[in-house]
Amino acid sequence: MKASTLKFILLFAAQLILWNYCNFSQYLIIVFLPAMLLCLPIDRGVIRVMILAFLLGLAADFFETGQLGLTSLALVPVAAIRRWVIQLVFGNELLARGEDLSFRRQGLAKFVTSILILTSVFLLIYLWVDSAGMYPLGFLALKYGISLLVSTVVSLAIAFLLLEESVAKWN
Amino acid sequence: MSGQKTSSFLVSAAIFLLLEVAALVLLHSRSTAQNIWFNRASHRTMAFLWGGGEALRTQFKMEELNEELQAENARLQERLRAYELREQAQEEQDHVAAGASSIYRYIPATVVKMSRNQVHNYIILNKGSEDGVQPQSGIISDRGVVGIVEAVDKHYAYGLTLMNPEMSVGARLGSSEQVAPLSWDGVGTARAVVRDLPPHYNNVPGDTVRTSGFSIFFPPDIPIGVTGDSRLVDGSTRQVDVLLFQDFSTLRYVTVVQNLARTEITALEAEGEGDR
Repeated sequence: MKASTLKFILLFAAQLILWNYCNFSQYLIIVFLPAMLLCLPIDRGVIRVMILAFLLGLAADFFETGQLGLTSLALVPVAAIRRWVIQLVFGNELLARGEDLSFRRQGLAKFVTSILILTSVFLLIYLWVDSAGMYPLGFLALKYGISLLVSTVVSLAIAFLLLEESVAKWN
Repeated sequence: MSGQKTSSFLVSAAIFLLLEVAALVLLHSRSTAQNIWFNRASHRTMAFLWGGGEALRTQFKMEELNEELQAENARLQERLRAYELREQAQEEQDHVAAGASSIYRYIPATVVKMSRNQVHNYIILNKGSEDGVQPQSGIISDRGVVGIVEAVDKHYAYGLTLMNPEMSVGARLGSSEQVAPLSWDGVGTARAVVRDLPPHYNNVPGDTVRTSGFSIFFPPDIPIGVTGDSRLVDGSTRQVDVLLFQDFSTLRYVTVVQNLARTEITALEAEGEGDR
């Protein structure tokens, strides 16, 4: 098994453990699955990433949330727009050359932007469907804002971990 | 190249939809809260779609519904009048009450045409001689007196409305039981005046004005309007303003009231005048 794959599985397990054991507040949900999808090799096609997102979501729901389909529902759109976000934030050149993402080369700002977009899409769907119309809009907006902020920071660290090999390569 | 891109996009979109639907189906079947939520959303959508269609369908059936309501209204008016007359008859201990209840016949009709801006205003109804309408029948609505049928064709009836200086109705004022002729004031579509009242008549604004029942056109006690201000005319008679319940500008459905004893009464009147 490749080290990057193992790292991916371990981080996924970390996400499950975080969801399961670390309930900091009802206003906060920490999610870095969108960042993990972002860090997949760039040459992965949209369909493959979407299927992976669906399966990851199912696994997450099976092991953790208990609402089978909820994470998949929110994660598949993230996978669907991933390529578009990369194109928008990192530029066409990267896709044309088939290069992997790199903190050193692309810079922190672009990662922050792309993670912010993907995480916001995920949280928007996840929180909306999860609430099932039972929570007031104010509560959801607050939860969304706090979760987006914290998740983006955590996601940056996760992305850094996932792309560590690439950093070494560019060095 | 472009075609390949398009087909690739379409395949991606199809798979995206498939995965999302699969996720929704899973969520819908496994989670009670989401299940309720989806059902509620589904009901709302259905209500919006089919409720709109139902409203549209009802709109098209409005004419038919109106006619049904109109017919029901006429039936109810007839029954109400019968009850009123029966009560009145009991009070007077008159044993002809049963006969009195059948004096009037009610025929529902719709206004086909009506003038409102002239001095002599008229009304045309969609019921004629084939429907049993006869000349010299009263026209009323659920809000009061409308007019009198003047001429009848096979399918239509022509009448004069109360908005006509030539027409007057015997009116009874409030609790005073004072009877006097009521006619249009010649100005508004919902205003009339009661004339020829004695100068000492004490007018109470807000009193209900009803038909007196002394004419062959209208049954007694049909509400017409409420009294307003009063004034002395030429120092010899008093005139009272009446705000009509029926605003002629909004009139659409009416009921023709036919006095079944009219021929007998008019013949008796003619005989009496001849004797004199």
